[in-house]
Amino acid sequence: MQEDELIAGLRGKDRKTTEYLYEKYSRALFAVISRIVSDSDIAEEVFHDAFIKIIRKIDSYDESKGRLYTWMSNICRNAAIDKLRSKEISQSTKTNTIDDFVYGLESQSGTMETIEAIGVKELMDNLSEDQRFIIEYIYFKGYTHSEISEEFDIPLGTVKSRVRAALQVLKKNLDRI
Amino acid sequence: MNIQDYIASGKLELFLLGELTEREREEVLALAKAHPEIQQELDALEEAMFSFDKKTGVAPSANVKERIFASLEADFQMTGTPPSPAPVTSTSVKLSPWKSFAIAASVVAILASASAIYFAGKFYDTEEKFTALLQDQQVMADNLNQVKQEFEETDSRLDRLISGDFRKVEMLGETLAMQKDAKVDVFWDQKAQEVFVAVNNLNSLSAEYDYQLWAIGKDGPVGIGLVNPGEKFTLQQMEAVAEAGAFAITIEPKGGSKSPTLEKLVVLGEVA
Repeated sequence: MQEDELIAGLRGKDRKTTEYLYEKYSRALFAVISRIVSDSDIAEEVFHDAFIKIIRKIDSYDESKGRLYTWMSNICRNAAIDKLRSKEISQSTKTNTIDDFVYGLESQSGTMETIEAIGVKELMDNLSEDQRFIIEYIYFKGYTHSEISEEFDIPLGTVKSRVRAALQVLKKNLDRI
Repeated sequence: MNIQDYIASGKLELFLLGELTEREREEVLALAKAHPEIQQELDALEEAMFSFDKKTGVAPSANVKERIFASLEADFQMTGTPPSPAPVTSTSVKLSPWKSFAIAASVVAILASASAIYFAGKFYDTEEKFTALLQDQQVMADNLNQVKQEFEETDSRLDRLISGDFRKVEMLGETLAMQKDAKVDVFWDQKAQEVFVAVNNLNSLSAEYDYQLWAIGKDGPVGIGLVNPGEKFTLQQMEAVAEAGAFAITIEPKGGSKSPTLEKLVVLGEVA
């Protein structure tokens, strides 16, 4: 299904299209959330609310302002960050690290997940220390680039170029996993 | 502007992460429209982020999917019916009562709080007033008791005065050097051996001195009590005396003396 067909189907409140969207994107969107919110029950609750928000707010999505996945992943990321910073979670869970995530995945049952998790670990191994740091804080701890700049006293321009470099490395190596 | 530099700046990545300001977003979108290289890079980056997310994540549990689709059930169009505003209405119908209930509840809560505060204030005011009234009432009751007691004393004296066989002895200061205008009356019932004095006019004394009443009989003057010059026109009961030819008042040191200081004789009256 093309992206414009998908969007039209969602705007028409079509169940089949919604199911297609779920099949295609739920894993990626859930990953955006569960990287940041480590407790899987809470992560699922956030995902539940975020996915419903996506479906119900589809009319406010504007194709001219970015592609669908960007819009959806931003909704999920923001929901996860909001949850992470809410009282409820900050008292009960520690913040995530890449290692927690990777080892957390490895300990999950199911061969496929383990294989993929090993892939993620290798992917991360391609990053320099600086890049790994940036990915950890942006993807796993829900920091914004300006928060990283402020908290670790790294110039904003440096944070931006490291984000860029890290994503380039990930992009190049993604096909291998 | 150098397109490659712009691409390398890291702005596109932040665009995808949703971290740009509205103004910066507009800038990226306008440049992507004008320069296909930027749009291509944006698409490639989005694809990379999606596949990174997809490949590094696990699927949410089947249970979540069930719950999501159960929640969305009311939103879906029936198959075959063309898109109509019906679901939108149903959504708004679902939302608006909740909203109006919430507003109504808030209004009620605010009103309730306000009236609670108002009535609490009233209550404290009233309680304060009530306490003040209780105190007033206590004071009045005390006063009443005192008046009653005084009245009873006066009444019983009057009874005795009327029922008894009292003689009035006027003691005057006219003929004496001290306090020429002084006037004190003695009421004496010889049979009942009762004596009262009533001060008509008597100067007040300093704290070290008292007026003392003497009954002067055959055996000389006998002190029969201290006279309070402040209690005018009331009967002050004195000690009993059976025999007297005259009554007199002298100024004596505080508490009175055994024998009168005659130089300080104030008033004198002979029994007629």
